Formats: sequence, structure tokens, C-alpha cells
Amino acid sequence: MIPLAEAPPGPAELPSGGDPGRWPFLQRLRRLPHLDPEPWLRAIESGALQPEADLLAVLAEHWSADAPLRLLRWWAAQPAPDPQLPLLVGIRRNPALADWLLAQLPADPLQQLGRPPELLAAQLSLLGHQRDARAWPLLRTWVQAPIPASLRRAALEGLALGLPVWPRAALRRCLRMLAADLDPQLAATAVDLLTRLPGCRRQLVPLSRRALEPAVAGRLQRRLAATPVQPLLLVVHGRSGGELPSELLSLAVELEQRRGAPVRLQALSASAPPDGEPLLAAGLPLTLVPLLVLPGGHVRQDVPAIAAHWRRRTRVQRQPFLGAWPCWQQALRSELQTLAGAAEPGQGPPLLLHHPLAGALAQRYLALLEQVTGGRTLATPYSAPDCDGPTLSFTAPALPLVLAANRLTDRLAGTVPGGTVGVPLLQRPALRAVLLDALEALP
Amino acid sequence: MSTAPASSPSTLSKVEQAKAELCGLELAPRLEDLGRQGWEALDEATLTIRLKWLGIFFRPVTPGRFMLRLRLPNGVITAEQLAVLAEAVDRCGEHGSADITTRQNIQLRGLLLEDMAPLLAELERVGLTSRQSGHDNPRNITGNPLAGIDPEELIDTRPLVASIQTALLGPAGPRNLPRKFNVAVGGAPDSFLLHNDLAFLPAHHNGELGFTVMVGGFFSAQRNALAIPLGLWLPAAQLPGFTLAVLRHFERAGNRQQRNKSRLMYLVDQLGLEDYRQAVLATWAELAAELGCEQAGDPATAAAHDGSHLVNRAPRDGLGVQPQMQAGQSWVGLHVPMGRLDAEGMAELARLARTYGSGELRLTEAQNALIVNVPTEHLEALLAEPLLQRFRPDPSPLQAEAVSCTGNAYCSFALMPTKGTAQAVLEELERRVELPHAVRMHWTGCPNACGQPYMGQIGLMGAKARKDGEMVEAAKIYLGGAMDAEPKLAELHHKGVPLSDLADVLEQLLVERFGARRLPSPSVF
Repeated sequence: MIPLAEAPPGPAELPSGGDPGRWPFLQRLRRLPHLDPEPWLRAIESGALQPEADLLAVLAEHWSADAPLRLLRWWAAQPAPDPQLPLLVGIRRNPALADWLLAQLPADPLQQLGRPPELLAAQLSLLGHQRDARAWPLLRTWVQAPIPASLRRAALEGLALGLPVWPRAALRRCLRMLAADLDPQLAATAVDLLTRLPGCRRQLVPLSRRALEPAVAGRLQRRLAATPVQPLLLVVHGRSGGELPSELLSLAVELEQRRGAPVRLQALSASAPPDGEPLLAAGLPLTLVPLLVLPGGHVRQDVPAIAAHWRRRTRVQRQPFLGAWPCWQQALRSELQTLAGAAEPGQGPPLLLHHPLAGALAQRYLALLEQVTGGRTLATPYSAPDCDGPTLSFTAPALPLVLAANRLTDRLAGTVPGGTVGVPLLQRPALRAVLLDALEALP
Repeated sequence: MSTAPASSPSTLSKVEQAKAELCGLELAPRLEDLGRQGWEALDEATLTIRLKWLGIFFRPVTPGRFMLRLRLPNGVITAEQLAVLAEAVDRCGEHGSADITTRQNIQLRGLLLEDMAPLLAELERVGLTSRQSGHDNPRNITGNPLAGIDPEELIDTRPLVASIQTALLGPAGPRNLPRKFNVAVGGAPDSFLLHNDLAFLPAHHNGELGFTVMVGGFFSAQRNALAIPLGLWLPAAQLPGFTLAVLRHFERAGNRQQRNKSRLMYLVDQLGLEDYRQAVLATWAELAAELGCEQAGDPATAAAHDGSHLVNRAPRDGLGVQPQMQAGQSWVGLHVPMGRLDAEGMAELARLARTYGSGELRLTEAQNALIVNVPTEHLEALLAEPLLQRFRPDPSPLQAEAVSCTGNAYCSFALMPTKGTAQAVLEELERRVELPHAVRMHWTGCPNACGQPYMGQIGLMGAKARKDGEMVEAAKIYLGGAMDAEPKLAELHHKGVPLSDLADVLEQLLVERFGARRLPSPSVF
């Protein structure tokens, strides 16, 4: 028995491994309200005491702030360091410890291949525990480097342990790349980590379209199946009296099939919102998507009012209007490039024909759209007072900037020579596919 | 019922100080934020003590990879719930696993702290909780794993266990006990429960079936005791209120100065059985006056009792195809080696329960799983499922009731890799001997006795021993544990057999004491 009521026991009194008295000794040591770790540290550093796991587990509850780093420095200087020790002593966050680890692990992993991989692996994991944003470039480099799989996995475990502190966009890119790695264990872990990030469907759904190793693909499908899919409300322009064009109806049907959750259309021109029951039944938040391509009055006034209506019934996650989505803008750019490629020599850049807009915001948006797509935007009047003008003619191929048939496309069809103006955007397969993919990946 | 400890702050142990400063339940709304901060930023008391009020366990052997212990009252779980747990484990990749525990419960391993907030929300969605499943709390309440389907059932324990849990987790329940507390309800002749602090065993009084109260059972490194009769009989409906009263009294009067002398039996010893009973009854009366009889029960219904009961034999293993009390339906008991599950196994178990049964499973204290309510016409197809090659309905007599703690894969204090060693030794013994009947072997890694070695016909406890001049991993051997009509704790037989010799020593014991017959050695060409 240890005379705990008297002086605290010292290292010399610790029974050796195998002694039946060791276990109760350590348990009593553990329960001491205060224990000075200094004699124990000194005993380890001098070689008088072996830093065995059971002892370190007890001492860890009494460490001073500098003790772990001190022990790790001692550990690194040993001729044959025990790779298990770092995780037993160095897991608490400590800037000095992070500094030391960063200094121990150079940015170029190929320089370190002479060192025992199990020691490097221990340090990589430990670096993740530190959750120090400075470690991101190093861990990313190691996880992507052509080095033994065990080291790459250790770097990925480091990323896993510090997940919230890494730059989110760069982390997503890194994990998406790793999901297709030739090492299936690494790829599987990358998929699991992507799942832990907010809005993971945006990452997982596109991954599911890539050729992944079968076990990884299976894992991805399990993650997707377990990720809740919110009901979707698509706010669209619609036609007179709330009529919904067929392009939008078929889009919603296909989307509902792909997401496995309710999708409903709400036309701005309709007198009432759609039946809310299917959207509310699961008790999940509602994802509200303004499928509007321009930042006009509908986006600025009507959509907030619609969101407010639904917020009275459920939680609403409102997405930006479609025209602001970078993937949509890039898809328009591709479409216009295709048009330009087929144009006759001397014709100007393709045109994007749009409903006339007022206000500085709208003009800035149009300027941005021209910059991104390489096309030229052209306000195209179509309302009744303007429709009496001469037949429209364009000097370049043109796309109506509308998703589905409406009054603008009706007017264009009646006044523009055939073939000059393309069909509404959702009738163009590439654009429709991009939109479907993006909508499928929403929460 | 949050009662401040009687001791002054200066005399409290560090555990008591931590509990007094902040109840771990208060961390629940902050869990998402704690995940973002990272566990490395938590103070020691929050990390190692308070999080356990939410069922979250920091594991020093796998720092950063946490364990979550659930509550599964009576060991009942649905396929939907199990599938949710499988998904949580699957997300942890190589780090993920789960254990069926000796309290008919499940604990998940390999989780990040960031996983906890969304996982707890998902658990709540499917009707599960991990609340107060660790540290100084009333642990998962066990009952007859065959409740409601057992042809030998005396009383269905499921509603009783559920109502006790509701009472204990409700506003009147304990938040700061001096120590952990195990409660169990028996419902069949084989409901051995004397290792619990509070056990209700079916018993008659004046021709009415109710429960006799047993108190004080526990295992620890310092002392092992079977529960003793309190001398009270209760109608079934009074169990929740009475349990609340026992725990309120324990919360007030239990020993907070010495954690190794704080289990209920020490309090019973301190007060004497008679005074303890009177104190509990007085507390119950006080509780009934405070909460009303609807919530706290009616102390007037308690009757003096001699402690005799209807439990008279050792627990059945429940394995294989067994007819239920419902005609045309069976349960299929599957042996889960050492209670260790992986994501794939869990998902498959859930699928089988959905496909062939009613979508419900039961977990046993022997760490096995039962698929229940399987119509006769589904049995053949179920038995042909590939998973049943892994989780066999007909394991060997040695495997059937082998129980194991976690071992040093996840515990700093285990002196051997318990589950791996047990599985390897049992497989080796199967090659060497055949047994006429099951032999219950309980494996535990250290004197804390989480694997309940004293309940085994053979108990094994991690130790060290010298062999060829070297200290090596070893096992103490205990013999003679009995859970039948004459319960008895196993006693030390050998103080340390090196693991490399363990199969030889156990083989000899099985032949000499358990009627094993040696199998012919495989031919060598």
C-alpha cells in the first residue's frame, strides 16, 4: 500500500511492470488531487524510469504546460524512440509544441524518407491534434506526396483530427482529389471526411459521377443515402395565370427522382403557393431556390416575400438566384462559345437577349455576365407597347436569357428570322444537365 | 434532483469538485461549439468527466477518437436505430467499431468530437439517447432480453425498465451521484441480476406477483459482492418511484470522500441493512409528498419480504432458433464473438431483422444479439444468410457465453488485449477439446473487472507473470462462479498464467472440471 496520506509517492516506489502492486499503485496515484510531475519527468529523462503507457496515462492528468514538449524533445533524442509515446504525451494543444512539430516535419516529405516512417506518422497525427492552421500546407503536401501509404494516411488522420481549422475550400479540393486516390483506404477516409463538412451533398453528389474504386463508390453511396435531403422549392417566373412551362415541369419531375425528396415549383405569376404538405412532411428545412436568371424586381422583392411566407411554416434555407451561380455562368460561357464557333466570320460575340432591367445592381450584373461569358447582353423589349416595332434582326447568334418559353421567346419566334435565336435555355441539353446536377447536389 | 454534496468544497475529491462546478448535461447545447474548438482545448474535467453525462468518452489510448455509449433499456433496439449506428461507425472507417456491452447496451468507437452534435441529434430522431450513460450516473437498465416473447416469462420487463429510465432521466432523476449505479429488472427464472446495485427479482407476496428488492451488488478492484435482500416487496408499478427514492438517498448519503468505497454496498454496510431500509422508505415518502404518488409511487404499497424469489437458474444463452410464446414465431439468437461489431455487421443485422423479423433486435448480457418475431416460414432463408457464418446461431459451447471487456486496444489500464486473446484461445481450445455443455468464460483486462470475471464458471483477468526470466502478459484464473439458484462468486485459482501457456492450462481445466473430451490431434503428413 502507498502511504498516500503522507508524502506523495515518488518514482523510486513505483512497482515494476509485472509486479501485482503496480496496478493499484497507479490507480491511487491517479486519484491524488495534486502530484508534482517534476520528479517523474526527471526520472524518465535520466533513464531511471521507463515511460510505459500505464504510467504516462496517469501522469498525463498532472502534467504542467511545458511537460509534454519536454518529454517529446527527450523522446526525439533517443536512439530508438517509441512511436507510441507522442500520442500518449503530446495531444494537448500548445503553440510551443506545434512550433516544435512544424520544425520537425519539413515541408518536403521526400527529404525525410530516411527516418523511420512510424515516427514520422506519430508526429503527423500529433500535428493534427494541435489544430494549428499553419500545419495545413504541410499536411496537405504530405497527404498528396509520392511517399509510403502509411505516411499519407497519417497525414490524412492529422487532417481529420484538425478538420474545422483548415481552409474549407482548399480542404474540399484536396479531399475530392483524394477520393479518387489509388489507395482505397485513403480514398475511403477522404469520402468520410467530406461527409463531415457542412453542405456535404455538394461535394458527394459530383463525386458519385466519377469512376471511383468500387469499395469507395459503395462507401460514397452509403454516405449519400444517410445524408438527409431537404425538400426543394423552385421559384420560377411562370406564364400568365401561373401556368408552368413544360420545360420546368419536366425538370422538377426528374429532379425529384434524382434527389429522392419532394421538389415543387412556385410560379411568381401564380395566385397562391403550391400545396405545402409534401414539403413539410419530413420535418426538414426547406431549400428555396430562385430559378431566376436576372437580379430584377422578382429577386429583390418577390423572393424575400415568398421566403417569409414559408418561414412561417418551417425553416428555410434560401439559395442565391440562379444567375449568380458560378457553375451556371460557366455553363452559359460554354454554350456561347459553341455558338460562336458555329458563327459566320465577321459576326460579333454571341448575344444574350434579356428582359430590360433597371437599376445599378442589374447593370453591374450584366457587365459581370458579359465578362464571364464573353457574350454581349442585349435588352430586348417584348411587352405590348414595344411589340409593334419592326422585325428584330441580330448581327450575331443569340440566346434568350430565359429558362423556359415565355413572352420574350414568343415575340422572338414571331419577329426574328428562323435560326438566328436559339431555344430557351432549359431546352439546351448541356445547360439543362448542368442545372440538374447543381440542383441535385443542394442540401 | 440535483442535490449538492454534503462535503465542503475544500474536502471534495477532484471528481466531486468537477461535478459540483458544472453538470455535464449543461454541455449539451454547446456540443457543436465544443466540436469546432476541438477536444484539445477542453479542460481535463470536461474532457474526462463531464462529457460522460452525454455518453461521450475520451479514450486516452485513442486520443481524438471518442467513444459514445448509448442507453438501450432492456437491450431492445430497432433495425432503423441499428442502421443509424452502423452509419455512424462506417463513417469512422478503420477507426470505427462497436461493442455490445455486458449491460445489453452498445458503445460506438472511433468518433470525432465533431461527430457528436449531429449524431446525438440523429439518435434523438430515431428514439435513442446516450444521456447519463457513463461515470457517476445510473447506467443502462437491464431486463430480460426475451421479454414479451419468452415462453418462460414471469413478467414482461420492457415497460418496467422503460418507465424506470423515464423516471431517472426526468426532472426528478439524479444528476450527481457519488458513484455509478446499476439497476436491473428480472422477468424470468434465469434473470440472474445480483451483480447490480439495485435488482428487482420477480417474487410473490400474498399471491400477487411483484418484485423483491435486492441491493448492493457490484464488482471492483477492491471488493466484489452479490446483492442482498433488502427485505421489501413491491408491486410492479412502484418500481420507478422506489428507484428514484433509492437514488435520491444514495445521492445524499453516499460516500463522496473515497471513490473506492462509494458503491451502494458500502452505504448499506455503514448504515446497517435495517436502518438503510428505513432511510430509503423515509426518502420515498418524502419524494411522494413532493412529487405526488403518480410520479413517485405509493410507499404504502411496499411490504416486508423475506427476499425469496422466482429466479432459480443460470441465464440461458438464447442462441439458435427458439420458439416464442407467440405461435408460429421464433427468435434467432446469434453469437457475436466477444460482442465486437463492425459497420458492415451492424448494417447486415439491421437488414436481417427488417427482412425476416419484425425489425426488432435484442441484446444480451452475454454480448450476443437476437433477431425476434421471425415467422416460421422465414427461418430457412434467414439461416441461409451469409452473415450467420460470422454471427453463428450455433457457436461452440465455449464461444456461446464468452464475455469480454474491451482490453488494452482501448483502455489504458487493461493488462492484456482481452478480446483478441480470448478469441484466439477459445478457437484453439475448440480445436483441442469438445464439451458436453456450455462453459461460461468471462475475460477482463484488469482488476476493475468490467468483464465480470467473478461471474464466470471460468474467469480470466489480465496480469503479468514471469516466464523464462521475462515479465510477460498473463491471466489470473478464477473458478467456480455460479449464477443459478445458489449464486456464488468465482475464486482465484491461479495468480498468473502466461498467455502463451493459457490454452494448455485451460485445456487441462476443461478436461478435469468440466467434462471436456480431448479431440484427436490432426494427422501430420
